[in-house]
Amino acid sequence: MPDDDKPYADGGSESEEFQEATARRSKRFETLDERAVTEDGFVNEWPDVGFVAMESPNDPDPSVTVEDGRIVEMDGTERENFDFIDRFVADYAINVEKAEEAMEVDSEAFARDLVDINVPREEVVELSTAMTPAKLVAVVNHLDIAEIIMAMKKMRTRQTPGNQCHVTSVEDNVAQIAADAAEAALRGFYEAENTVGVARMAPLTALAQQIGAQCGRGGVITQCAVEEATELELGMRGMTGYAETVSVYGTEDVFKDGDDTPWSKAFLASGYASRGLKMRYTSGAGSELNMGQAEGKSMLYLEARCILVTKGCGVQGLQNGGISCIAIPTSVPAGVKEVAAENLITMMADLEVASGNDQTFTHSEKRRTARMMPQFLAGTDFIFSGYSAVPNYDNMFAGSTFDSSDFDEYNVMQRDLQVEGGTRPIDEETVLEARERAVKALQTVFEELGYPPITDEEVEAAVYADGSKQMPDRSTAEDIAAAEDLMDEGITGADVVKILATNGFEDVARNLLGMLKGRVAGDYIQTSSIFKGDGEFDVVSAVNDPNEYQGPGTGFRLTGEDWEEKKELRFAVDPEDI
Amino acid sequence: MSQVQQQERTLVLTETEAAQEGTASDEVVISISAGFNEMKDETLAGVSLAEVLREMMAGVEEQGLTPRVVRFVDNLDLGVIGLRGAKLSGSGISIGIQTRGTTLIHQEDLVPLTNLELFPQAPLIDLETYRAIGSNAAAYAKGESPEPIPVGNDPMARPKYQALAALWHIKEMQHKDEDKPPMELEVSFE
Repeated sequence: MPDDDKPYADGGSESEEFQEATARRSKRFETLDERAVTEDGFVNEWPDVGFVAMESPNDPDPSVTVEDGRIVEMDGTERENFDFIDRFVADYAINVEKAEEAMEVDSEAFARDLVDINVPREEVVELSTAMTPAKLVAVVNHLDIAEIIMAMKKMRTRQTPGNQCHVTSVEDNVAQIAADAAEAALRGFYEAENTVGVARMAPLTALAQQIGAQCGRGGVITQCAVEEATELELGMRGMTGYAETVSVYGTEDVFKDGDDTPWSKAFLASGYASRGLKMRYTSGAGSELNMGQAEGKSMLYLEARCILVTKGCGVQGLQNGGISCIAIPTSVPAGVKEVAAENLITMMADLEVASGNDQTFTHSEKRRTARMMPQFLAGTDFIFSGYSAVPNYDNMFAGSTFDSSDFDEYNVMQRDLQVEGGTRPIDEETVLEARERAVKALQTVFEELGYPPITDEEVEAAVYADGSKQMPDRSTAEDIAAAEDLMDEGITGADVVKILATNGFEDVARNLLGMLKGRVAGDYIQTSSIFKGDGEFDVVSAVNDPNEYQGPGTGFRLTGEDWEEKKELRFAVDPEDI
Repeated sequence: MSQVQQQERTLVLTETEAAQEGTASDEVVISISAGFNEMKDETLAGVSLAEVLREMMAGVEEQGLTPRVVRFVDNLDLGVIGLRGAKLSGSGISIGIQTRGTTLIHQEDLVPLTNLELFPQAPLIDLETYRAIGSNAAAYAKGESPEPIPVGNDPMARPKYQALAALWHIKEMQHKDEDKPPMELEVSFE
């Protein structure tokens, strides 16, 4: 920047062109130009094509007509003109019995109910689950961001907030993944999500993550986001415990481009349900616009359709809040507000919400923190979906908004504001022990299955590593052969339990068996379920931990032991030491 | 400095006739999208499209093959125009490129959503890579199996370019004409 001074110092400016090129700049503006936020992509609104976060002039007005218990007109469209999303939503997502009553309620009055502590959640849900997409949007459009936070606090399904993490490695290094999963579990995440650099590695990375997580805390549920059929098979094998990356869209054209319909997605969901596996869908603002197929509608309206498609499929929850297209809503005015609004509508549909904050959208440290404040302050089922429990260079979801280098700062924010953010402070020694246990368990499983050995050198590197840069080289080609063998030989979670149990890892075996038993019991496929993570495999869900927030003195409070734990900061000064 | 030099070369694309299925086994079709050099004369990352096309053509030529440039205006999908280009190509190999710079190498007997090589993060493709893409496409056309060109990954590509890429895509849709066949182009640099 200082170099820019030179032309002025040189003085003389014979030609007009030179004068233009060196027009004197404000030092203030030059400083501002250097800020990270100027690197972000920002776009002015263009409602004609749907480049608008909320309130497009092309969004339909809410309406419904019911005849003989069937919706024959919705949001200004007659049934014969419904596209397949309209039809699916009208027939399966909306409580028809209450629809006319719900639609008659004044949208602003209903918006006030959302933030009124005297109106309990059940009362809101009774009508919000009978509203059309346009009506849900019309209601939420009346809220400002503070009110959205208040409404989220009351409307999320499970009373106890939680968090999810990403555990990935740019090298797909299994030893590193096992160690990081163990640490992530210790740090308090209820769910861990893996994906791969090389698709064929998925069976081994999924296995490594699950073993690692069960070494950290028994009951952390794991997933591996890969191609849909593989993802389902890994779940059926017991290599994972849930799935999340089944995508739905807000316009028919985008669905069709993926050779899908709401019905085909429902069929896939039933594959998980029939095996007792937890699953949720994924959607989020911007995906339709990314394909140029937003039909001029606002991102929030299209997302409301996605939310109701999810509801209609009978799926218990949804991951939304921009997700992989997050940099599209955040490029336009009110985009970050829109993202919080779509989380809120998901809660109003009585679904679990994994609320985004999971993909890079900005170069700015401040902006990435501000973006997650609504979900963080209100608390959601999973505030991040997920938080990168590895350095972002290892994050195979192309980077999350917070990563492992932010662990202390995120804990401090919870300590500062007395907010449950879903992670907890942990000391180095405990972390190292868990990481070692995890990699050694994986080493044993690999040895027993005859897979490429995890050397003692790799074990040690994984225990102490921050990321894959500290890991010795490992042959991906050989691991892929082992992964193919795992699938061909029909190895299941039960085989892994047996190996662990007979080789000195009874505790880990018990936890892994607990995960498998959870699927047989099926309790954790209830809405917004998690295992407490204390090795007892007690399910906490919207059924036995319903959100009963109704103002001060009610709902979830960060108090008692949990709060005492948050106060621990490893570099805080103890007055008694001075 | 190099950016300034790039601006100096102007690309002139002149339509000659509706593109025919080629018979020369030593040709590689370069399929360009509707708005290429019409809507914008540079990629999303600001690289001159004149230079991009010149490098890709040079890459094909350095393997001793002949590039043939065809514009598709009836479809914007990169997989589709890449595949249709491959079917027009006498060698069965094509390069497909959108205005924003996203590029792939396609082969006539594949389905649209698979390909030989894909470069999804347009802003990370530099001129050297465009030349290598031309060269690799020509190598495939000769029946060789070249090493795939390394694909870049940058967590900050999404924050910087995702919204702009969507915007460009929508703008380019305005150049679409569903009734117009793919057109053979004469290429000159001025």
